[in-house]
Amino acid sequence: MFTEIFVVGLSLGAIYALIAIGYSMVYGILKLMNFAHGDIYAFGSFICYTLLTKYNLNPILSIIIAMIVGGILASMVERLAYRPLRGPEYRNISMISALGVAYIIQNTSENFWSRQVHFFPSIISNPFVSIFGIQIPTTQYLTLGIVIIVVVTLNLFLKYHKIGKGILCASQDIPASSLMGIPINKTISIVYLLGGTIGVIGGILYASSYNALSISMGFSGTIVAFEASVFGGIGSINGALVGGLILGLLHSIVGFYVSTAYRDVITFAILIIILLVRPKGILGRYVEEKV
Amino acid sequence: MKKNKNIIIIILAVALSFLLPSFVKNYYWIGIFNLVLIYSILCLSLNLIFGFTNLLSVGHAAFYGIGAYTTAILLTRYHFAFFPALILSGVIAVFFGLFLGISTSRVRGDYFTVISIVFGEIFRLIMQNWISFSGGAVGIVGIPAPQIFSWRIISEKDFYFLGLILFWFTYITLSLLVKSKLGRAFIAIREDELAASTMGIHTIMYKILSFSIGCFYAGLAGSYYAVYNTAIAPSSFTLDESCLMIIMVVLGGIGNLTATISGVVVMLFATEVFRPLYHYRLLLIGLIMVIVLVRYPYGILGIFNKMKSIRKKYNYRKV
Repeated sequence: MFTEIFVVGLSLGAIYALIAIGYSMVYGILKLMNFAHGDIYAFGSFICYTLLTKYNLNPILSIIIAMIVGGILASMVERLAYRPLRGPEYRNISMISALGVAYIIQNTSENFWSRQVHFFPSIISNPFVSIFGIQIPTTQYLTLGIVIIVVVTLNLFLKYHKIGKGILCASQDIPASSLMGIPINKTISIVYLLGGTIGVIGGILYASSYNALSISMGFSGTIVAFEASVFGGIGSINGALVGGLILGLLHSIVGFYVSTAYRDVITFAILIIILLVRPKGILGRYVEEKV
Repeated sequence: MKKNKNIIIIILAVALSFLLPSFVKNYYWIGIFNLVLIYSILCLSLNLIFGFTNLLSVGHAAFYGIGAYTTAILLTRYHFAFFPALILSGVIAVFFGLFLGISTSRVRGDYFTVISIVFGEIFRLIMQNWISFSGGAVGIVGIPAPQIFSWRIISEKDFYFLGLILFWFTYITLSLLVKSKLGRAFIAIREDELAASTMGIHTIMYKILSFSIGCFYAGLAGSYYAVYNTAIAPSSFTLDESCLMIIMVVLGGIGNLTATISGVVVMLFATEVFRPLYHYRLLLIGLIMVIVLVRYPYGILGIFNKMKSIRKKYNYRKV
């Protein structure tokens, strides 16, 4: 039984990681807690849901459209609500404006799709397969595969592509990198675009592996992204991956063996303990404060 | 001269606020004023923590809830009088505030925010699941009407007066505190923690102090809410509630006590005015928040805030 729970937890964690990556990237570059992140990916997932059920579009095509919508929405939000408030003295204030954006997106999607839980069709046929004697639905494996592909591509992109290098530079020091000729506004827009796009993938995977989609997923998604990126060390992609996997494992193991009611309490308590022992997260590095 | 003027203004405001129910007879509006008072107490104390000491605490609803649950349990199960229950609610909130403040004293900036969010969620989840202690999701009902000496507080108007006393207590003590040595230390920490510590300010101690003092008032507000509403449930102390308080503080103007009240009034009246447009209410509130903050980052009344000129000195490097 434990192995099944382990694999389920791993694939749940992989979804969490996808949601957390965008969140963590934004934090790494702007030190901004993006409260609207969850609602953006929920919105994208709902777009995918509508395309699939109402217009009977090809699943691949509808996922791509949803990803594009999520990405564009994220960078639009950045342009309208965060860019005017950029800069360290506005840091806390831009967080509140992010909350305002979260309200707006949440309310808009509520008016389009109502608050109830929707049935989300499985994108692929979902038979149980047995690998090494473990009975797991195919989607779980698929999820793990997708996450590995995304993380590897993203790491390569950041390391070798010009824009990716620009993102890394900007997360080190915005003024210095703008002096080096990196277009900061464009770079930050791209970070949001990437974050929104990857988040939507996570949202769709979550919805299709549990066959359910609701608006409240947005806010709980923000919290999950938050937790996962803090677990791993906020600001780094690999940290978000590690944190997401740990969080998924914790959720499934604690939920199965201890109690579902106290699942969140226990994971939160572990989060606090990790923060107190390693204040920068598991993979986080200390950066000395400059005077 | 200026000091005298301020005192006169405050006395006038106190007198006016006590006379208000003789002009406004409608209980619906007095109910809204009561809400304004509760949130004003909460946001004033949050402003001390966030606006003056720059500790972004998004778990203030938990301390509000701790106060409310303390009063509810003391009144329904142990038949306490209201006044000791009120004080005890504040004290227990301080106790938890000290606990959180001390355990997080080494954690900086955003990680403090994370822990405060998580603390709030833990509180809510425990209250929701520990049915024998807190009544679970239903909460505690039938909290008796409070009585202070011979004053039995039952009607909406009586509650208004009680809330007003608590509110002025909060406002006056906090504005005195902010101007004292303690308050100056808080402001120094807000402006630059490192510089403050080199000036000989024990930053950790002062941060814990600021946090727990703020929690005391939150406990009082919770106690008032419990007797006013006569029933409490974990759904009143969610993360949304903490976010709402932060929004009110920022919308009013951080680091300015009077401005906070304007933020509270704008948010609560916006909710009431937009009530007919039920489906678009959050949308409109979100729009107001974004537009006001993008236009005036220091809040509605914060436009006149002196902080702006001080903050200009910040250069972009400092993150």
